[in-house]
Amino acid sequence: MQLTRRDFLELAIITGAYLSADPVSALAKMKAEDIMSFKSLGNVTLLFTTDLHAHLRPLYFSEPVNLVPPKGLEGIPGYVAGKDFLKMYRIKPDTLEAYFASCVNFPELAEKFGKMGGGEHITWIIKSIVNERGKDKVLVLDGGDTWVTTAIGLFTEGKAVVDWMNYTGYDLMVAHWDFTLGKEKFLQRLKELKAEFISQNVVDADFGDLIFKPYSIREVGGVKLGIIGNSFPFTPIANPREFVEGWSFGVREEQMQKFVDELRNKHKVDAVILLSHDGLPLDIALAKKVKGIDIIISGHTHDVTPKPYFVGNTMIVIAGSHGKYVGRLDLDIKNGKIRDYRFKLIPVASNLIPADKGAKELIDKWYKPYEDKLKEEIGVAEVLIYKRDTFFSTFDRLVGMAIADYYHGVDIVTSPGYRWGTTILPGQKITVEHIYDFTAITYPNVYIMKRTGEQLKAVWEDVADNVFNPDPFYQQGGDMSRLYNVEYEIEIGAKQGQRIKRAWVKGKELDPKKEYLVAVYGGPTPPPESLVPDAKPVPVYDIVIDYVRKKKHIYVDPTPNVKVLDAKYTSPLEAFGKGMIRRIKA
Amino acid sequence: MDRRRFLLLSALGIAGLTFVPGIFRPSFASSKLEEDIQKRLGVSLSQIKESADVKLQAPTIAESGANVPVSVESDIPVEKVDSLWIFVDNNPSPWIADVKFTPMNGKVYFATRIKMGQTSNVRAILKLKDGSFLMAAKEVKVTVGGCG
Repeated sequence: MQLTRRDFLELAIITGAYLSADPVSALAKMKAEDIMSFKSLGNVTLLFTTDLHAHLRPLYFSEPVNLVPPKGLEGIPGYVAGKDFLKMYRIKPDTLEAYFASCVNFPELAEKFGKMGGGEHITWIIKSIVNERGKDKVLVLDGGDTWVTTAIGLFTEGKAVVDWMNYTGYDLMVAHWDFTLGKEKFLQRLKELKAEFISQNVVDADFGDLIFKPYSIREVGGVKLGIIGNSFPFTPIANPREFVEGWSFGVREEQMQKFVDELRNKHKVDAVILLSHDGLPLDIALAKKVKGIDIIISGHTHDVTPKPYFVGNTMIVIAGSHGKYVGRLDLDIKNGKIRDYRFKLIPVASNLIPADKGAKELIDKWYKPYEDKLKEEIGVAEVLIYKRDTFFSTFDRLVGMAIADYYHGVDIVTSPGYRWGTTILPGQKITVEHIYDFTAITYPNVYIMKRTGEQLKAVWEDVADNVFNPDPFYQQGGDMSRLYNVEYEIEIGAKQGQRIKRAWVKGKELDPKKEYLVAVYGGPTPPPESLVPDAKPVPVYDIVIDYVRKKKHIYVDPTPNVKVLDAKYTSPLEAFGKGMIRRIKA
Repeated sequence: MDRRRFLLLSALGIAGLTFVPGIFRPSFASSKLEEDIQKRLGVSLSQIKESADVKLQAPTIAESGANVPVSVESDIPVEKVDSLWIFVDNNPSPWIADVKFTPMNGKVYFATRIKMGQTSNVRAILKLKDGSFLMAAKEVKVTVGGCG
C-alpha cells in the first residue's frame, strides 16, 4: 500500500499521531509494505494465528507488566516481560514492534499507533501471502481459543468466527475455550468449519478411544507434512467439566510420541509439526520429552516469540493473542530435511494494514443485530484498564468493586486469572462491548459462598501451584486468581502448599477459623450445598455494566495487593508510566 | 476443591492458627507408606531403586481425584517378572493393588483407575523372579483448577 499525503493526514487523525512533531516521518516508517516485507524462502509457508478470543474487530491489548517465573524457569520465553523482553529480543523501545510486544509506554504508543488485530486485516494478510506464494505452498493454522469470549463470540455461539475462518481459508485447528460452547454446539460448529479439527489428546473417558483425528497429512509445496494436534490438556479442570463430559484430556506425551513415530516410519512424512494449545512453557518442556518433532506452533499462554526458540532440533514459535499477530514461517524442505527457514511475526496494525472487503462485510453483517447495544457508552476510564499480569490488574479490581457493591456485605471477591480481555486507554469511553471483552463466558454467573480462612488458603495455594509449579507439566498456563479485599505475601519458590506466607482480609489477618462470604465467578461450578441460599446468581457482565453506568468516571487504584517475597514484581505505574492515569477534574 | 477434600485435609490436622510450613505433608503419611511396603513386599522403601524399565503412565494433573487412570508397562520379559504393586503415598491407605504375572500374560502391562484424596506420588514397584525390585514414581496433582 502506497500512502498518499491525504492518507497520512487521515491516518494521523485516526491514530492521533498529529500530536507528534513530525507525523509524516513517524508514519512513513510503517507502511503496510514494510510490515509485510518478507523475503520468501523454500517450498512451504506456514501461516498461523492463535488465541484470537473472538476479536473480529480491532482492539487495544497490552502485553503483561509481569510474567513472574517459577523457580528454575527464569529467563525462558513465557517468563520475560516489559523492558526485559525488549532487551532479550533487541527491540527498540517506542517502535511499532515494541508497542505490540510489550507493555512499555503502552498508553502513549496506543495513541500513536492505534488499534491492533481485527478479522478483516488478518484476512488481508493471509490472502496477500497466499496470493504471493500460491495456495499449494501454504498451510493456514489456528491454535484455538478462537470462537468465544467476546460479545460477538458469545451471542452467535461462535458462528461469526467460524464463518470468518471459512472465508479466510484456514486449514487446521485445535481448541480450548471453544469447548465451553458445550459438546453438542462445539461438534455442530466443527461440522460448519471448513478447516480440519485435529487433537490426539482428547479421548473417550471410559475406553480411551480417540474422539478426533489425531493428525493430518498434507501435501504442501511438493512435500508431505504430518501435523499433530494438541488441544488444551487441562480443559476439564480449568473450565467446568460438564462442557466436555465423557471426554478425557491430558498432555498424553507417550501417545504423542507414538504418533510422531507413526508419521515418520509409516507415512514417511518430510516434517512433523505440532499444532498445540499446551502453552509455551509446557511445549518447551514437551520438546525435551517427545523426540522427532520439527516444529511446534504453540498457543494458550499468549506469548510472543519474535524469534524461534529451539530445544535441540525442535523449533518452537507462538503468535501472541487477540489477533495481534499473524505468524509466517517459510521452510525449505526436501527429502525429510528442513534445510532452511525464515520466520516473522507480522503485527496486525489495524490502521496500516488494509481491510479485506469481503471479510469486513461479513463481520459487519454478524455485528449488525448487536451494534447498538454494544456501542453504548456507559462511562469513561480515568486509568488504563487492562487484564494481563501474574497477580493483579485494574480490570480485576474493577470487577471486585462492582461485585462487592452489588452483593452488600461480601468479604472477598475472586476473579479468575484468565489471560484474555482487552485494554481501555485512560480517557477512553467505556462501552458495553468492552465489558463483554473481559467477561463474555458461557458460564458467567457470580456465586456467593461461605468459606473458612483455612479453606480459602487451601484454594489459593492450589491455584498458586498451578501457576508456579517448577515443572510446566503441572501448570495450567493461567495467572494467579485476583483477590479483591485481600492482601497477601507470596514466596514463589516455596514448596507446594506453603507459598502464601501471610494474608489479610480488609486489613485484618486471615483467620483460619472464621467464615468469610466469598463471591466467585469463572471457575468450575461450585457444588450447590456450598452456596449461600438467598444470594441469586447474576452474570458478571451485567453487574459490571450496571456499576460502570452508575459510577460513570471509572478510576481504580493501580497499586497491586500482592507482595512477592522472592522475585521481581514491577508495579503497573512503573511499567506503563504516569500516562496510565488521567483524572478528569470535577 | 470439593467438600471431601476439605474434610480430608482437616482430618489430616490442618487446624493451626498460623500457616506453619510443612503442615500439608504430615510426616506420618510417608511412614504409613513405608509400613505398607515393608508389610507387603518384605523390604524397605529405601532399598528399592527407581528404574526407567518400569513405565508408569498417569496424568500430571488429575481430572478427578475420584478416578485417576494409571497404567504400568515394562519391556522386561514377563517370564522374569514375579509381581507388581501400586501405592499412593498420601492416601489414608497407600496400598492400591497387588498383581501377579505369569508367562500367560504375554507382556508386563496393567491398567486401572485409582482414587486419590490429595496430590501425591503414585508408585509402581515390580518384583523380578531373581528377587530384585524396580520402581517408577510419578506425582499426580489433585487440584480445584480454574484458570483460563
